Amino acid sequence: MDSARPAVFAPVDNTARVHAVVRRLGDAIALGLLADGEQLPSETDLAGYLGVSTVTLREALMALRQQGLIETRRGRGGGSFVRTPARPFDLDGRLRPLAAEELRDLGDHYAAIAGAAARLAALRSLPGDVDRLRRSLAEMAEADPGPHLCRLDGRFHLEVAAASQSVRLTREEIRLQADIGPLILAAHGRPEAGDRVRAEHAALVEAIARGEEGRARDVAESHVANAVEHLIERRLAL
Amino acid sequence: MRSELPVARPAAGAAAGAAVGAAAARVHATLDAVFATVAEVRDASSRRLAEVAAAGRAPVRADLAPLRPLLLPRLGPLVCGLGFIAAPGLLADAAWYLEWWQTGPAGAPSQLLPDLDPESSALYDYTAWDWFTGPRGGAERTVCGPYVDYLCSDEYVLTLSAPVHVEGVFAGVAAADVFARTFENEIVPALREIPAPAFVVNAPGRVMASNTAAWPPGAVYRGGRGFDARPCGSTVSLLVGAR
Repeated sequence: MDSARPAVFAPVDNTARVHAVVRRLGDAIALGLLADGEQLPSETDLAGYLGVSTVTLREALMALRQQGLIETRRGRGGGSFVRTPARPFDLDGRLRPLAAEELRDLGDHYAAIAGAAARLAALRSLPGDVDRLRRSLAEMAEADPGPHLCRLDGRFHLEVAAASQSVRLTREEIRLQADIGPLILAAHGRPEAGDRVRAEHAALVEAIARGEEGRARDVAESHVANAVEHLIERRLAL
Repeated sequence: MRSELPVARPAAGAAAGAAVGAAAARVHATLDAVFATVAEVRDASSRRLAEVAAAGRAPVRADLAPLRPLLLPRLGPLVCGLGFIAAPGLLADAAWYLEWWQTGPAGAPSQLLPDLDPESSALYDYTAWDWFTGPRGGAERTVCGPYVDYLCSDEYVLTLSAPVHVEGVFAGVAAADVFARTFENEIVPALREIPAPAFVVNAPGRVMASNTAAWPPGAVYRGGRGFDARPCGSTVSLLVGAR
């Protein structure tokens, strides 16, 4: 009996958790959301933020080290540091294990959250909230494609979610950005998608500024749907 | 029933007036309590930066660490986050920096985001938030929110802030966070004594606390609709409707 206990009480599905952490941090590094040389929080803090045990986190960090995405230095001033890889984000590699159905479902989930947040943002935004959105639009217009634009894009959608005044929708937006975000960014980052993405961002801000709830929701939903359609086409062509 | 109303009105009106006055006083006192803490942080930050300037050098992040014995004991049931936010370019070793402490998930004080690089972390640009632009623009007291604070706490909070000056020059902001639910719990008992729809709004019109589901916290009051406004200090108002 006693000898069976440790196995019984071992974390459920630990491998999946390790993979989830590796994918989350690996995507962020590959996209430049975590910058080259940036120090990661301490193991205890990072495990706390990600909601995993320190054992799970250590396994994930070990995998990231083996992939050359982080470097760990010992001693004073030590810790884990980000190393930007030479190869860019591997979209096809990320798409291959996902079925079209899974991509569609991820998109459905994200569109539901983004649409609901945009609708409430249109209902509840004050001029100060709209000013922040316009500032992000202006900064995105100035930015060259790459990690900086990706970060601004993430901030913009987070600002829309926060303008809904819903903590839960905002947290869900953050979680989904970490999950499907890199795929959406890769789809939106294609040069031929640029004009449409910019037009959708501008239309979203205008709808929120005018308090047009239905229009804000529709634009936010189709913004996600357009990206997911491309991802499914690309997955099916692999 | 209808014919009895005019008779009851004077007494009920006086009671309602007293309840409105008491609720406004409650809002005033709650904000004052938080601003008293903000003022302590403002004065200590200003003194600390003046000491460094007197030594003839530019301040660095480590120069703000001596504020911690002041900050940590002031986190508690009312204030859930507290600190000094440097104006961009103030510190010699960091473009942007917050000496910011908050009640962590386990209840112990924790410092978040010790290093903010605007080049790598677009997210953490705090200069567009009302709690920063208000004091930078000269307001002695700014009440920001409630808003979803994705920068620090991932919670629905109010931020109360004041400018920090060193030798007359704006050096940054002293601020304190209060969970929206904490503020609501402080105010709602007094609002419930008012026999009419009543709610508290910040300067731009965001509802901070309310006695009616028609105006929940986070809703926006855009003026009109038969509400009387009563100032509660620090640009916050109590709005009372007809019964």
